[in-house]
Amino acid sequence: MAASSKFITEWWLQRISAVVIAAYALLVIALLLINGTPNAAQWQSLFANTGFKLATLLALVATAYHGLVGALHVWPDYVKNRAVLAVLNAYTWVVAGAVVLWSVYILFGLSAIAK
Amino acid sequence: MANTDSVTLPKARPRPVFRNIGFGELSNYRLPIPGVASIVHRVTGIALFVALLFLLAMLQMSLKSEAGFEAFRSIIWGNIFGKLVLIGLLFALIYHMVAGFRHLIQDANQWLDLATARSTAFASFAISIVLTALVVWRLC
Repeated sequence: MAASSKFITEWWLQRISAVVIAAYALLVIALLLINGTPNAAQWQSLFANTGFKLATLLALVATAYHGLVGALHVWPDYVKNRAVLAVLNAYTWVVAGAVVLWSVYILFGLSAIAK
Repeated sequence: MANTDSVTLPKARPRPVFRNIGFGELSNYRLPIPGVASIVHRVTGIALFVALLFLLAMLQMSLKSEAGFEAFRSIIWGNIFGKLVLIGLLFALIYHMVAGFRHLIQDANQWLDLATARSTAFASFAISIVLTALVVWRLC
């Protein structure tokens, strides 16, 4: 893929991921405003719901991607030292990857919210 | 009119002077509110990214068991430090989202004139503060 088309794809995916995250955040905020603070049983039964699990996974994967693209663009505007920049970029990739893997584990590996 | 040459000349305006500013003069230069909106959008984005792993740790704790949920609650809502961090992250998320919507509209070449850029920047802060306050009030 040519460099310019890669950046355009990235630009669009970052905005699409933003809308996905916002939709999920607004859903959770609405649930909080309507129902108030959940107790343990209410909170865990919400996350035991397969539809909510998938929505959460989608939002977290979108967050990992959105944050990856965002942070990789922001660091070089402020950090001019190449070695420091390389460390920050590596950290960004590690966090983004860890968020995806850990999200799958939390949503599908915990017995308390398993079906 | 004795001197006809001088009356036809336009009055000279003072020419603008451009120079580098010193660090001590920085406080005399105020970032306009659309600039503030932009930098806060960046700062909140980085803050949320840095907080992601902590937030996942909290999510895991809250979903592990009933005791885990109570431990999670006492960390984020049982002391003033936890509350401040939670409220700060909540504001960061809500502001990043609201200002993000504004930037999406600007991506479509709308709201770009100075007056609208100013008023929507101000509105982004106002809406975010009110929405954050509503959620915090509901959590109390």
